[in-house]
Amino acid sequence: MKMMLILLALPAFILPFSCLIYIIVQAWPALSWALILPTDVTIPPLGDAFSGVASSGLWNQIGGSLLMMFLACLLATPIALSIALFHSLWATVYQKRILLSLLQVLQGIPPIVYGLCGLILLVHYLNWGISLAAGGVILAVVILPLLSMNAIHALERIPIEHTESAKALGLSHGAVIGRVWLPAAWPGMLTGLLLAMARSLSETAPILFTATVFSGITWPDSIFSPVTSLQTHIFYLAQEGSNAQSVHIAWASAVVLLGLILCFSLSAHFLRRYEGSV
Amino acid sequence: MNTLQKNMCLEVKSASEEAINQDSVLNDVELAHVSLTLSGKHILKNISFALPNRGITSLIGPSGAGKSSLLRCLTLLCDHWQGDISIQGSSIRRWSGGEDHLRRHIGLIAQKPSVFPTSIYENVIFGLSRKERGKDQSICIEASLRMAALWDEVHDRLHTPANNLSIGQQQRLCLARALILKPKVLLLDEPTASLDPRSKQLIEISLHDLAKDMPLLCVTHDLEQAQRLQGQVIFMCDGKIIEKATAKDFFQHPSRIESREFLRWSVCDCG
Repeated sequence: MKMMLILLALPAFILPFSCLIYIIVQAWPALSWALILPTDVTIPPLGDAFSGVASSGLWNQIGGSLLMMFLACLLATPIALSIALFHSLWATVYQKRILLSLLQVLQGIPPIVYGLCGLILLVHYLNWGISLAAGGVILAVVILPLLSMNAIHALERIPIEHTESAKALGLSHGAVIGRVWLPAAWPGMLTGLLLAMARSLSETAPILFTATVFSGITWPDSIFSPVTSLQTHIFYLAQEGSNAQSVHIAWASAVVLLGLILCFSLSAHFLRRYEGSV
Repeated sequence: MNTLQKNMCLEVKSASEEAINQDSVLNDVELAHVSLTLSGKHILKNISFALPNRGITSLIGPSGAGKSSLLRCLTLLCDHWQGDISIQGSSIRRWSGGEDHLRRHIGLIAQKPSVFPTSIYENVIFGLSRKERGKDQSICIEASLRMAALWDEVHDRLHTPANNLSIGQQQRLCLARALILKPKVLLLDEPTASLDPRSKQLIEISLHDLAKDMPLLCVTHDLEQAQRLQGQVIFMCDGKIIEKATAKDFFQHPSRIESREFLRWSVCDCG
């Protein structure tokens, strides 16, 4: 029985490592510092549509992805914090139940649906066009449930005795939040933020419709300019399957993207361990 | 009141102290017809009593009698009650400055000590506002810790984490934290329930000293402790006050049959 369970669980250990090794092997011919750093790399012509991409490494794509991620977090964090504080301070049991159900529903909506909504509402209706702003807003909506749930759970982990002791000492709601809740909950909230950062880096569909273009873009001029991103870059390059060099670059981009996501996920993991030890 | 406490009172003019000076004639805590119903269950039924100006009142009774709920009503941590509770003649529902201001005048010590994850020093001054923190802060801290019988044990490590203290020391730290606000009344919810005999003794000594200047209401399941604390005893059962007497009378000549049963079995059967 034990042996059977081990065998069933084995893919969970083997698959991620084998995938990672396969991606690195595929990317190896194209992997170099020149690909990541802002220097020109010489890539054979990929056809008209790809000519702009080939001239400079992944610097602009990495920058675009990070820009959208930071914008999304900047927009979603205060809203998530407000939701969590409302949940903990004022919401009745019934309101709490509804709020959590809504967040779960939001979390379950496929990202491409968010992308479609962004395309209609932000890009066309509000006339923002394909832009960093539209991508940031849609990514903020995508990560909002994750951030909110983490903030709610971080606040729920604070011992009720701490809150009651602070109240019994005559501290106002604001003082209880500022002096008891936030100092106790920040590691949990930061963990949620890092996971949300990783999530926003891994989303492709919402920004494909709303924020990114493939060629002719280096760095956005304004918040209403289109950007390039690693996620969509991989998508476009992978479509050019007949060109071996572009496929290698797609794999290399995947390695860079995985590296970024792993950075945030592992930071969140270590922070959670720190949180547990406090 | 010892010398240190007097110095503290003279030197630190906090807002709470000024409020005490305004009407220092009245110093009673009075409950009139207090009832509490939660989720259709009657927790407190028409509770009325007054605490004397100073001295200890032990609130005893079986689990579920409503003792802790009564303390929560007194601090407005539970605000669904009916009736009236007044401190120094002012109803706590219409307290000038609101409920946060009121709670500064009522020290509440919970059964389980709850220290904040910071230093001993920071824990003691946790309830003080920025205005109240000043150059005389150290005197206040020392006075509070001495009143809580903790100064000798921690004076050389005030800036170390409070979580490193033993449970008994943490409970005394909570007492010091409440005392630095100079409360008008001190409420204690089984303050020594989880403590070793030595810590229990130290806290009881502190309570006796404090009771010389203010009223103390102490919920306890420990009948021997209620006898040691002396003062008056209020026996509650099923949300009602069954008997109120001096500790000596209650334990030697309980007048109600329920009290006698409770003392005999330490279990109440009010049915």
